[in-house]
Amino acid sequence: MEILPVSIKMNPILVGFSEAFNLLFSFDEEIWSIIFLSFQVSGIATLISVIFALPLGSYMGLQEFRWKKTISTIINTCMGFPTVVLGLIVFLLLSKSGPLGNLALLYSPVAMIIAQILLTFPIILGTTKAAVESVSSSVKELLLSLGSTRFQLWKSLLLESRKSTISGVIMAFGRAISEVGAVMIVGGNIRWYTRTFTTAIIMQTRMGDFGMAIALGMILLLLTFIINIFLTHLQTEEA
Amino acid sequence: MDAIITDTSEQNSFLIRCKDLSVHYRQPNGHFTRVLSNLSLEIRQGENLVIIGPNGAGKTTLLKIIGLLISPTNGNIWFREKLLEKINARERLQIRRKIAFVHQKPVVLNTTVKKNLAYPLLIRRFPKKKIQQKVSQMLKLLELSKFINHPARKLSGGEMQRVAIGMSLIYEPELILFDESMANLDPSNQHLIEGLMQNLLNDQSKTLLITTHDPMEAIKFGDRIAVLNQGKIIQIDKPERIFLEPNDAFTAQFVGYENIFEGFGVIDSDTGINNIKINDITIAASKAREGKVKVCIRPESIVISHYRPKEISFRNILKGNIMKCNDLGIVFHVFVSVSTDVFLVSITRNAWNTLQLSLGEPVFISFKATDVQIL
Repeated sequence: MEILPVSIKMNPILVGFSEAFNLLFSFDEEIWSIIFLSFQVSGIATLISVIFALPLGSYMGLQEFRWKKTISTIINTCMGFPTVVLGLIVFLLLSKSGPLGNLALLYSPVAMIIAQILLTFPIILGTTKAAVESVSSSVKELLLSLGSTRFQLWKSLLLESRKSTISGVIMAFGRAISEVGAVMIVGGNIRWYTRTFTTAIIMQTRMGDFGMAIALGMILLLLTFIINIFLTHLQTEEA
Repeated sequence: MDAIITDTSEQNSFLIRCKDLSVHYRQPNGHFTRVLSNLSLEIRQGENLVIIGPNGAGKTTLLKIIGLLISPTNGNIWFREKLLEKINARERLQIRRKIAFVHQKPVVLNTTVKKNLAYPLLIRRFPKKKIQQKVSQMLKLLELSKFINHPARKLSGGEMQRVAIGMSLIYEPELILFDESMANLDPSNQHLIEGLMQNLLNDQSKTLLITTHDPMEAIKFGDRIAVLNQGKIIQIDKPERIFLEPNDAFTAQFVGYENIFEGFGVIDSDTGINNIKINDITIAASKAREGKVKVCIRPESIVISHYRPKEISFRNILKGNIMKCNDLGIVFHVFVSVSTDVFLVSITRNAWNTLQLSLGEPVFISFKATDVQIL
């Protein structure tokens, strides 16, 4: 008779786990919309960053120019930028009284993408630059002496440093999808519209609705795990 | 007939001409480093020129300048009649595509052997079929066919160097720069690469510029040898002249004259005999100069014997004692003390076995007057 109260006490968390599995395998519409949106926002942001940061980063790694050191320091600072502050900056830009206020982008997935571009761009830029720089000078000389044009040299160097560059991209995506500060501020955690993994977990935990939070948490953890398997694989192959 | 042939070879048009090349830079600690100073050099079309010199002489820097990988601080370079300073990027690329550079340490791209070899052809927009054909041809030549899809960076050093050389030869450059490419190779790889080199050496359409610090390699490959030391070319000449008539103590020592003495030349105008006094001994030389001179005698030119040799061709016969013997495998280095000087004599193992020399034993060393080189 004494056992009953204990089992009742355990209930919320246990129930949470069983509910989590239920939600996942019954393909609950809301949970999958959250997953889809998170991937969409972080994926698009990372992709856009890749398109711009990869050429720019490899160019910076290859070329000598004025202020290179200063710019590198700025990039490195941006790589560790607090996401909450990023969110604040984008919020101020997009808010009604801000310079881009009339675009009415605040609390939309587009705003979240903008914030995450600002997050991922310096990471990809910095890692690509470092990766291209780390290709030994003798390989650069080899490529030049074999008759590469400037463009061919640049392309080959990017290819030579592909492992480190890919690591940088995966890292940026990982940071974006697990980030909470910026998407919370500029997205607003609106149900069916701007609710992501992280913002949902916060809200559900506060509401005591552990089932959804645990389910999302497990997926996020699994995702991080997969990303790290990738990274470890790349890094060990390098050595 | 001979005269005509040498005449045309002298007039052979040059492929590369360097004039007053200087390279210097300021190190972070403020020191001024001179790598090359006022170096002038002409490389003729089709010749094989070996640049020999110790580490740090500036060999690699010179090669990189000629390969258009770095620019000199001062000076001009002509490729054929084109002054390289005055040409645009496009022309520069065209010239660079006629030049190949093989590094000292093997450098390959981080991809398969096949893709490595295809790269130079790919960037020159060769048709796919042609690339495939040339690559498989080259693989056979390099004896690397079984590694076709192997990652090039996973090969052994020698195999990797073969790939690197293959990459440089596959686009049939006119000028090939070998930067000590034969160093650090095991005998089997060295043999294979030397086989490849032999074809290049004989090919008049290919000009080879090879750096080395190994005199034997210089003789093997060079039509001409340039001796580089401290950023300057000290002597440039045919190999036999470099070895037989070094014009400088550095060259002499570098190419293997171990017997270098400082002496005093006396020319007897009556008898026409040139004597050189070295401390307590006097030796005869076929050529000489009055006053202070440096002389050298190759260790192989000296003959060692138990008794005074009868041959009159030896103008110099000295009596000494065996001081030290070094077993070098095929040859023995025997050090003989004569008065206050020590002569190094190089003899074969066969000679060693028949002579049965022992330490401290009195012996005669003899050498011809023509083998005494005045520096």
